[in-house]
Parts: sequence; structure tokens; C-alpha cells
Amino acid sequence: MVKKKNPLKSFGFFLLILSIVAFSIFPFVQMLSLSLKYQWDWGNPSLIPRKINLEAYKELLNIGQDLKNVPESVLTLLDETPELTSQQRAAILSKYQSTGEVFPFLRYFGNSLLLSLSAALLSVCLAIFGAYSFSRLRYRGRSVIQRGVLFVYMFGGILLLIPLYRLFASMGLLSTPTGTFVGLLVVYMVQTLPVSLYMLGNYFRTVPFSLEEAAMLEGASRMGIIMKIIIPLSASAIATVYIYSFMIAWNEYLFASVFLKNYKMLYTLPIGLKTLFVSKNAIWDRIMSASMLTAVPVMALFMSIQNKITGGMAAGGVKE
Amino acid sequence: MRELKIRKPTLPHDPPPIALAGMNARALREQRFGWALVSPSVFIILALILYPVVYNIYLSFFEFKLTGDNIFVGLRNYVGVITDSEFHLAIRSTLVYVFFSTVGTTLLGLGVALVMNKKFPLRGFVRSLILLPYVAPVISVVFSWQFIFDPVNGIFMDVFHNKLGLFAERFSLIGSPDTAIWVAILFGIWKNFPFTYLMILSRLQAIDETLYEAAEVDGASGWQKFKSITLPEVYFVVSALILLRVIWNFNKFEEVYLLTSNVKVLSVYTYLKAFTGTMDLGQGSTLAVLQFVILIGFILFYVKKVLKW
Repeated sequence: MVKKKNPLKSFGFFLLILSIVAFSIFPFVQMLSLSLKYQWDWGNPSLIPRKINLEAYKELLNIGQDLKNVPESVLTLLDETPELTSQQRAAILSKYQSTGEVFPFLRYFGNSLLLSLSAALLSVCLAIFGAYSFSRLRYRGRSVIQRGVLFVYMFGGILLLIPLYRLFASMGLLSTPTGTFVGLLVVYMVQTLPVSLYMLGNYFRTVPFSLEEAAMLEGASRMGIIMKIIIPLSASAIATVYIYSFMIAWNEYLFASVFLKNYKMLYTLPIGLKTLFVSKNAIWDRIMSASMLTAVPVMALFMSIQNKITGGMAAGGVKE
Repeated sequence: MRELKIRKPTLPHDPPPIALAGMNARALREQRFGWALVSPSVFIILALILYPVVYNIYLSFFEFKLTGDNIFVGLRNYVGVITDSEFHLAIRSTLVYVFFSTVGTTLLGLGVALVMNKKFPLRGFVRSLILLPYVAPVISVVFSWQFIFDPVNGIFMDVFHNKLGLFAERFSLIGSPDTAIWVAILFGIWKNFPFTYLMILSRLQAIDETLYEAAEVDGASGWQKFKSITLPEVYFVVSALILLRVIWNFNKFEEVYLLTSNVKVLSVYTYLKAFTGTMDLGQGSTLAVLQFVILIGFILFYVKKVLKW
């Protein structure tokens, strides 16, 4: 149908879209801008820094920090004694490096990465079999399981936090760093498992059953079918669910803050950032660049799978 | 009026239901295999979600000593919580927070979905840009929001005090509980409207175009089309989204606690009670139980009255 376009109306529409976009991304722009500003520039409401300041990023990523605080005499000493092993050199230099103490971003980043990667992996592996089971096989109790998975949506984190904390503490899990790490890993896995089960279950139902029938006629076992037909055909859905689970674990704060309280070594990014903000080392540029570096991996991952994940979310599998 | 469509996933070539008496060997094998595949997941969910919930109810009847002994105190925790005026305040803030953030998120999500359903240049790019608030980790955006409302350097005070002169002096909007809750609500709307928008948009795209064309032939105005075609079509998805949003916002912790320490909704209040100060885990678990009971009550009411299941 052809309609006459009213220029005033389309201009209004354009303004409307512009304001929606501005509302959505303004805090991100503010974050980026402030992370690049010098302290004397903070009061300036303009979003463009008068002078670009990359110090905060360099400090967090440990670029060019190695020799920053090392006295000249030590450097010459190191130059004149080539017989020192690289380990010894590192040991000497590490005495003068203080940035790691302020905010060991890379370590927190590593902790977050390790936890999220493994929790998502465990959750997806379990979910592949579980979801196949209740989307394809018939048995008693199947619908109870399917609905039970949805029921889990109603439990907020706080309802599980106190009993899980008590349970893990009484099992002695929280008294060692390894145990704490494992405990948190299990918690993240179980938080993402229902979502993974639900999303994969929905996807597996769209895989044509005739393919499986054909394979069965040729003598393939159910396990063989999962491995050789279902998994390859659902690769993109599995990747999507994996990334979604990864994001849930990456963003989690509540459990980490309680479980990791006594283990600074194990801090994940969210709890590390929160601690930084309330400490005396809190300066806006450092906080904002740390925020940027925390957000960017997740946002990049999301953008890469955006078309698929939005479809998956539309299918109903989501959790906050 | 057309009947509301509720899409239900269907199984292609679904095998017929099992007749238990004459079950053949293959069906039996399939049943065993099905249970074997799903049992690890079921076990984990039972052990780490359902059992803790039951254990939490049990804990709410005990008082904890630092030595690890639990003393049975009956309903004392419940009496203590219910007569505490801070609990009443927490309930009030929770209701205000849930009501306004849910209404705001839903209305904005609906509006944005209607706009994004129209064709315009760069639509794909804009659609993914406005998903960013939903995707970004909470911890990475709260500081930016705090800076925006910062009394000294923030842009909010710059605009409303310096440029517009609405406020007589600069002050911290996040600093006092009365104003902080509105910042938290705005933050919640900003963070979650993309999800609502996305769900509504995918429903809008499924509406049959010919319905609108027929209405235009009949001379219907834009508002009439919205009221008699769009609204009935999205009614089900919107009311389901409202239910989910209420559940999620009722249990919300991070988005409130990380943004401001001045808004004590139930989750935050419970967290502070159980894990800071004297670490009163007994009253903490009592609070968690009460929160859950209130939520279940609301869900039952909503499902009966609004969704009419």
C-alpha cells in the first residue's frame, strides 16, 4: 500500500528513534568517555575528553607497568648480571610492582573466565543429554521433569543462598580455596542448567525425527544418534546456549560475594570491581576502564551470536 | 475477534503414548535410556535447588550459634521478623520497586517494539544497539549510572541544576533512600526493557499483515487498529511478560544492591541481615521463606485473574 509521507511525521519518527537509542547507550558512552578523561576533566559535562588518558587501561592490563616503579640502580644491576635466570629477574622486579595490589584486574579476569567457561561447559554437556531425553524419549515422569525445570524460574538467588552456604560450609567445602572454587562452580552450573535444558529441549524438537529413524534402521544406537546426528545438527543452538550460560556466570555477583569473602585470590570481576569501588583506590577513570573491560567480552560475544540468541530467547528459554 | 493463539511446541512424529500393560522391549529400553540420560540433571536440580529450598524452611525455625549448633526456636524468628518495622519498610520499598519498574519496563518495551516494527534505515543496527543494556553485566554499568547522578561531576545535576535551574542546589539523588529508589526503578527499566521489547517484537512480526489492510479499507484510524488488532494479538505475551517481570523484580538483588546501598528491598534486606553484622542466618532464612510465600500468593492470584488459566 502506497502512502504519502508527511515530512514532519517522519522527522518526529526519526527523533523518536534517536531518543530511544540515546537512552539505551548513554551510560555506555558516559563510561567510555570517563575512562579516557584525566581527573581535572571530570567536572566537564562534555562527553569528549579534552585530552585522552590511557593510563587506567594500561594499568589494568599491565602494559608498560613492568619498569614503571623500578629504581634505576636495580635496572642497571639486572643489565650487568646476565647470568640471572628469567625467574630470578621476575622475582626481583616483582618487588617493585605495586599495580597488582591496587586492583589485580588480570587475575580477576582469569578467575571469572575459568569459572564461567567451565560452569557453562558442564551445564551444556548435562543439558544436551537431559534435553534429548525429555524432548525425544517417552517415559513416565517426563512431563513432571519438563514442568519442574520451569518451576525453578520462581526461586530467587537469595532463597538458595543461605541454605547452600550452610550446606557447603558444613561439608567443609568453604574452608579451602579449591573447595570454594568448586562450590561456586557447582552453583553456577546449577543456575544455568534449567535454562540450558529448556532452550536445548525446544531446539531438539525442531530436528526432523525422520533422520533419526533412518539412522536407527541402519542400526545406530540412541547414543550414536545423539553424537552423530543431534549434536552436529544443533551445533549453533548449543553454542548459543553455551554463550548464554557463560554470560549468566560471568555476571553473577550474589553467590561470589558470600562464598569468596575470605579468598581475595579467587575474586571474580564483579566482586573485585565492587571491592575496588568502596576502597580508597577508587578513582573514576580506573573504575570506568575496569567496567569497560568487564563489559566488552560479554557484549562482543553477544553481538557475535545476536541473531541466534534472540531467536532462542523468543522460544522462551531465559533466566535472570 | 480472533482467538488468541498460544503457540505450543509440538513433537514431530511423536511416538504414541505408552500402554503400560503391553509394553514391548524396545519401549522399555527407551524408557530406561530416557531416565539414564536425564537423571544427572534431575539429581543436580533436586540436590542443589529443591533440597536447599526445603532446608531453608527448616533453617527458619532455628537459631544459629557461632559454634555451629542450631537451637530450635519454633516460630520465634517469624515473630521477630514480622514485628520488625524495618521488615515493613522493606516490603513497602519492594512493592513500590516492583510495581513501577514492571509498569515502566512493560510500557517502554511495548512502545519500542511498536517503533522497531516499522521499517527505517539501519533498523538491524539500531535493534541490536538497544539490546546492550540487557546484555552488559550489572556491575559494569552501575558505576556509570552513579557517575551520571554524582552530585559534583554528574551530568544529571549539570543539566537540572546549572542549565535548567530546577533544583536550588546540587545534591546526591542516590544518597537518600527517598530518591534513590526512583533511580533504582529507572535503572531497572533501562536494564530490562530490551528483553520485553524483544519478546513483544517477535510476536508483532507474527501478526498477519492482511488484518491491518482490511482495517484500513474499512477506514480504521491508527489508534483503532492498535486497539482492535495489535493489542489483542499481544495480550497473551504481554501478560506473561508482566508475570515474569514481577517474579524477577521481586527477587531482584544485584541491580538494586550494586547501584545503591540506600534502597532496601526484600532481597537486599535479607542479604544484609544474613551476611553482614551479626550474620543472623535464622532470621535471614525466615525472610527468604516469607518472600517466597508472598511471591507464590501473587502468582496464584495473577494466573487465576489475569491469565485466566
